[in-house]
Amino acid sequence: MTGHATYIGKRLLWTLPTLFLVALIVFFIVRLIPGDPVQVILGDQATEQEIAVLRAQYGLDKPIPMQFALWMGQVLQGDLGNSITNNQPVMSLLLSRFQVSATIVLIAVTLATLIAVPAGLLAAWKQNTTLDVAIVAGATLLMSVPSFWLGLILLLIFGLKLAWLPVYGYVPFSENPVEALRYMILPAATLILIEVGVLTRMARASAMEVLRLEYVTHARAKGLSNRQVLLKHVLPNAFAPTWTMIGLVLGGLLGGIAVLETVFTLPGLGRLLVDAIFARDYPVVQGCLLFTALIYVIVNLIVDLCYPLFDPRVSAS
Amino acid sequence: MMLSKKLLLSCLFAGALLGQANMAHAQDSTLKIRINADIRSSDPGVNRDANTDMVVMHVVEGLVGYKEDSTIGNMLAESVDISDDGKVYTFKLRDGITFHNGAPLTAEDVLFSWKRYTDPANAWRCLPDVNGQGLAHVVNVAAPDPKTVVFTLEKPAALFLATLARTDCAGTGIYHHESVDASGKWVKPIGTGPFKFENWVSNQYIELARNENYKALSTPRDGMVGDKTPLVDKVRFVIIPDDSATKAALLSGGIDIISDISNTDVAELSANKTVKLDKAQGMGLNVFLFQTRDPLLSDVRIRRALELSLDYPEIATVVTEGQAEAGHSVIPRPSAFFKTAQAEIPSRNIEEAKKLLAEAGYNGQPIEWITSKQYPALFDTAVLAQAMASEAGINLDIKVLDWATLQDHYNNGTYQAMSMTYSARLDPSLSFDMMSGNKDKQPRKVWDNPEALELLAKSKEVSDPAARQEIFDKLETMYRADVPMISLYSGVKTAAVRPAVQGYKGWAVGQPRAWGVSVEAD
Repeated sequence: MTGHATYIGKRLLWTLPTLFLVALIVFFIVRLIPGDPVQVILGDQATEQEIAVLRAQYGLDKPIPMQFALWMGQVLQGDLGNSITNNQPVMSLLLSRFQVSATIVLIAVTLATLIAVPAGLLAAWKQNTTLDVAIVAGATLLMSVPSFWLGLILLLIFGLKLAWLPVYGYVPFSENPVEALRYMILPAATLILIEVGVLTRMARASAMEVLRLEYVTHARAKGLSNRQVLLKHVLPNAFAPTWTMIGLVLGGLLGGIAVLETVFTLPGLGRLLVDAIFARDYPVVQGCLLFTALIYVIVNLIVDLCYPLFDPRVSAS
Repeated sequence: MMLSKKLLLSCLFAGALLGQANMAHAQDSTLKIRINADIRSSDPGVNRDANTDMVVMHVVEGLVGYKEDSTIGNMLAESVDISDDGKVYTFKLRDGITFHNGAPLTAEDVLFSWKRYTDPANAWRCLPDVNGQGLAHVVNVAAPDPKTVVFTLEKPAALFLATLARTDCAGTGIYHHESVDASGKWVKPIGTGPFKFENWVSNQYIELARNENYKALSTPRDGMVGDKTPLVDKVRFVIIPDDSATKAALLSGGIDIISDISNTDVAELSANKTVKLDKAQGMGLNVFLFQTRDPLLSDVRIRRALELSLDYPEIATVVTEGQAEAGHSVIPRPSAFFKTAQAEIPSRNIEEAKKLLAEAGYNGQPIEWITSKQYPALFDTAVLAQAMASEAGINLDIKVLDWATLQDHYNNGTYQAMSMTYSARLDPSLSFDMMSGNKDKQPRKVWDNPEALELLAKSKEVSDPAARQEIFDKLETMYRADVPMISLYSGVKTAAVRPAVQGYKGWAVGQPRAWGVSVEAD
């Protein structure tokens, strides 16, 4: 237990230089992009004086290293500054937007896993049969479809033609759970369909590797039923690589699903970042990327810590 | 049996969920208008953009406002008296006007709002235009009685009322002192407008509620003045950035109005019986800008050759899908000052263009032309210009940038040629002002002809329309001779409206207006 805690402590400690590096790179790269946030805000009718006043107000008139030092000072106190665009605290923006993205992503990835893993196992078990070909073809098709296109098609059918579901917007669960679910069905379904493809392929490949191993032949020779062989012997070993893939997918998606958020008009983290980049809203861009990096690190840490559950050899080593 | 039960329950649950969709259709008389991005604040004229101005101006009203022909009309002012020397403006306030909190409008409220507007700490958009740096210098504001406000200017300024009415100044809307808290921090606008500011859910929607006590003017709705009676209980400005999602929302009944559809959607939506279209000539301008200090483009013959190589009616027709007419003046078509001199469109003349290029010694050197796909028209016009100019032997090299980068080049003057779009300027002086000025001080200005700058300054002092027209005609001639910029057209704002919506009408500024608009159940 102590060893485990030390391992977690070490991993968390290692995130600090990673995050500092991310902060450093993001801060300077954002400022290398041409374009002035103040000019974007004020538009084509701005006067020189207005631009100067607003630049001073946001501290953009100071030398860049000083801006970095001031920002880092704030970050170390847990303050990511205020948005240049709407003056709201970046931290509260991030948390409220992350809540939206995370809800959809967690629902979608959980359901996608529940569909993809059995489908992958089944395809591997029935390798080279019509069922296998159908599952692989379906998964490949889903992987190849762009998410925005799939989203728009679902929106067109279920929102516009059948008018069963709303085509835009978001309602938090805390406000109205039934309405929240209705608003979430289309974006979550789109994400599920896209991720099912990737995870099914991964689960199938892992299961095929395991099925070739001698202990599976041994299990069959013992007279175990197909169900027992698959669930007790194949699944635990085949799931470990899929679990890594789930971690990567989750880390990537939790950073924002900008395209889907735009199609379904969801106020999520991805849209916040994209809007902030176009508006050159430096504090928000910095905050989003730092937050995304942190999420990625945490998700991967959780994945690593869960690994021994599927593969005890990892814990021993 | 178990499976059947589960299936039945699932079906009932799904039915309950989907049933909500139909119930949503039969809701209240809320008018839902799409906006493409969230507002920046609710503080009039402060941290603003076009969406912010539009929402806020449903809540607050100024002393005066713009009419649809871009002249100025009274709003909260019963009358405006201008002294003979043009320096003193006396506003008499209308009787019986109350704020959304029930407090009566008095001259003290005007003083309070003005004091806050002119406090540099609040960074009001139009402060430089009233503190002597720009169009006017207000040296004193007084309230001799509760119904009278007197503004005293340092010297006459023909555009003083126009400045107060400007939408980017939020019409210098008057708000109650309870709009700010005890520490002076902005809370929300408490104005006198037809709608009350009710709810702002960041990045989702802004909701306004009908002002039950609104006292409307008896004159018909006209721009930002006239009868502004609210006819719906609520107005919800729904934020939908994506055009496809917006169209789906309109067709499914999720929203009632898209105030500005893209030209490519006009044909499709005009064929759809569940949608009505409303067209209004806009006052924004699509233009090409030239850096007249560039070694190559400093030669007016090359700029003139480029001008002659283009087919303006063709560009306007192709880019706007036949919606807009070509316009070659800095003054947009709907302006009362758009007369014969402004209406002339130069004919395409490739031979003359080639002759001018030969005289200038141009040998096909590439001219870098920056543009952006943020507004499709910017890119489309650049591509058309490239193809047309190549027939005269002009080599345009198009470079596509994102909007912020393009603006950066525009503001710093670091380009050879570029496509640009200007937002609506409702007075010709402001139209010329947007592109004229000292390049050393303001590198974004494209025209720095000293004689023109003198004439422009004069146009801001003269009030007589005939005298102003004469000045603008002279400026037009000089502008066309110098070719620092090529005006292409003013866009047409086409709104798509559901049939249940009655009374919606677009106007030159292009911002949707929710007053005078009703919505019935579909």
